[in-house]
Amino acid sequence: MRYIIIGGSAAAISAVEAIRSIDKRSPIDLFSDEKTPLFSRVLLPYYVAEELTKPLLNFRALDFFEENNITAHIGVRVKEISADAKTVQTETGETFEFDKLLLATGGKAIVPNIPGIDKEGISTLKTMADADRVYNLKGKKAVVIGAGSIGVESCISLMRRGLKVTLIEQLSQVLPTVFDDEAASIIKAVVEEMGIEVLTGERATRFTGNGRVQGVVTSTREIECDMVVLAVGVRPDITLAKGAGIEIGSLGGIKIDKQMLTSIPDIYAAGDVCETFDVARNTHFINAIWPMAVEQGQVAGLNMAGQTTEYGGSVRMNSIGNFIGFPAMSMGVTHPQECTYVEEDCHFQEIKTRSKNTYKKIILKNGCIVGAIFVGQTQKSGIITALLRKQVDVTDFIPVLLSRNLNFMDILPLVRRNADRFTEPEFKELMDTGL
Amino acid sequence: MKVIKVDPEKCTGCHQCELWCGSEIASVGKELPLAINEQPQPVPRVYVEGKKFAIQCRHCDDAPCVKACPNGTMRKDPETGLIYVHEPTCIACWMCVMVCPFAIINPSPTIKVAIKCDRCRNMGYPICAEICPTQAMTIVDRKDYRKKKFTT
Ligand SMILES: Cc1cc2nc3c(=O)[nH]c(=O)nc-3n(C[C@H](O)[C@H](O)[C@H](O)COP(=O)(O)OP(=O)(O)OC[C@H]3O[C@@H](n4cnc5c(N)ncnc54)[C@H](O)[C@@H]3O)c2cc1C
Ligand code: SF4
Ligand code: SF4
Repeated sequence: MRYIIIGGSAAAISAVEAIRSIDKRSPIDLFSDEKTPLFSRVLLPYYVAEELTKPLLNFRALDFFEENNITAHIGVRVKEISADAKTVQTETGETFEFDKLLLATGGKAIVPNIPGIDKEGISTLKTMADADRVYNLKGKKAVVIGAGSIGVESCISLMRRGLKVTLIEQLSQVLPTVFDDEAASIIKAVVEEMGIEVLTGERATRFTGNGRVQGVVTSTREIECDMVVLAVGVRPDITLAKGAGIEIGSLGGIKIDKQMLTSIPDIYAAGDVCETFDVARNTHFINAIWPMAVEQGQVAGLNMAGQTTEYGGSVRMNSIGNFIGFPAMSMGVTHPQECTYVEEDCHFQEIKTRSKNTYKKIILKNGCIVGAIFVGQTQKSGIITALLRKQVDVTDFIPVLLSRNLNFMDILPLVRRNADRFTEPEFKELMDTGL
Repeated sequence: MKVIKVDPEKCTGCHQCELWCGSEIASVGKELPLAINEQPQPVPRVYVEGKKFAIQCRHCDDAPCVKACPNGTMRKDPETGLIYVHEPTCIACWMCVMVCPFAIINPSPTIKVAIKCDRCRNMGYPICAEICPTQAMTIVDRKDYRKKKFTT
């Protein structure tokens, strides 16, 4: 068996580990067009903030490839896949044959079509090269466009480097895909308290400056700046997949089946590049986050190595963590309206509790959790994630789930009632205790 | 793989395990009188829940926390299967907290590392099981539930 992995990040490495857990010998060739191997892009804002140096960005030891007997082609871009011939061609002109191929090409940062976007001093933050560019930009004032997780983290990074930062978001709240307006307003206040100017409901329409960016024009004003970070989102990098004739889904990601197989036999896909079944939305979605890329890479890898495994489906989850200095997280949908699949007999419930420093919300669809938000108090959120992913009816447990003292033992009856879904040995062990 | 089995019939909810875990394992002083006054306060890695059931990390086979950790801080010891936090690299992003179904990872706001039970992996025997006055916690082999399903 000859394996080829395209990509070198979360999904790719997870797949390699899964393959090696079964097949220790077969040759694996891995291609990554980034010059730095094995860094976690989740940590790039920490690098820009000078909180972590480059060696600390690694998520696996540098001898990972050697230890796992992998031929790593670092800094090498794959140009083309010939599905019929079962080969890949690199930009350096070499051809490699495969029996099983994984596309873990991830996403590309979106560069919006705004006049003046190609001026110097404007950058996205996705690759290590981007991070180095942003790190080396000189100036006193920065504008960050887009208030998603990456945008908010970029602001804080630059602020920590001593810059004055303005955050622009065209929607009416920060972190629009992560929080509802109530949670977002708490986070916005925290961010503003750090000295960051936050402008919501404003669009960047033009960049000014001669060659180098000097200002951002919005619908209502012009903001002077020396640099701009674009954080308006990522989109699956499907260049290779398209060229190979692989079917693309309606959201622009690679279409895969439950075994992470694409429309072409022996070619798999995993991570930010694909659309997966979203448990909360009950339809296909692109959940471009690290834990999902790892899970999908694992499922793809196991199947590639011959151990038939099905993916249970993905769910969006984001943790704001200590970078903001304030714990806040959310999973699934943040508003029932996001459930575009609403059928007539669907019953939605939104339950909230709010205290001075905490905010919690759970969204239920026909008694099953489809979304949750935790602000301030987050320790027990994992229980909610598990119940969401298993889609069990929690109707008679709602007060327990929102209680400050929620603990796993409280939901054991719920787990036991749905024993067919909690099949992992850890759950069985606790069910076995007889409680 | 060995796991800690908790017998709810024997657990009296006396919180001794929490106390010993907090002072012996988590504290700098390693003794209860010293630990009580320490700042930041040492946090135990075992929680007596539902009034009488001591729960700590279950050391999952296919651990969700390991898969969620974005920088390889949450690790599985290849020899023992124990899941532990490699504290020097933890960035306190709480992605692991978000996925632990047993909610036993403590996102310590003061210490800024994920705090969880590593079953005293450097000590030979977990302190909670050792000091439990009623021996409600014992170390047993993990049953192979998956295999059972196929053979019966
Ligand atoms: C700044 C930032 C912060 C983030 N923070 C978080 C966070 O806090 N939590 C979270 O869950 N997620 C976060 N994410 C998202 C997370 O990083 C991604 O979900 C994850 O990296 C996806 O992994 P992947 O393997 O699917 O793809 P990617 O990480 O995108 O990797 C794909 C790789 O394939 C390479 N590649 C593509 N085409 C080719 C080719 N033709 N030849 C060779 N190589 C190729 C790419 O260069 C890239 O290195 C963040 C992302 C960014 C950019
Ligand atoms: S911390 Fe939680 S998810 Fe991780 S191994 Fe322990 S019980 Fe499992
Ligand atoms: S808090 Fe630490 S151990 Fe947990 S996921 Fe983040 S880096 Fe990993």
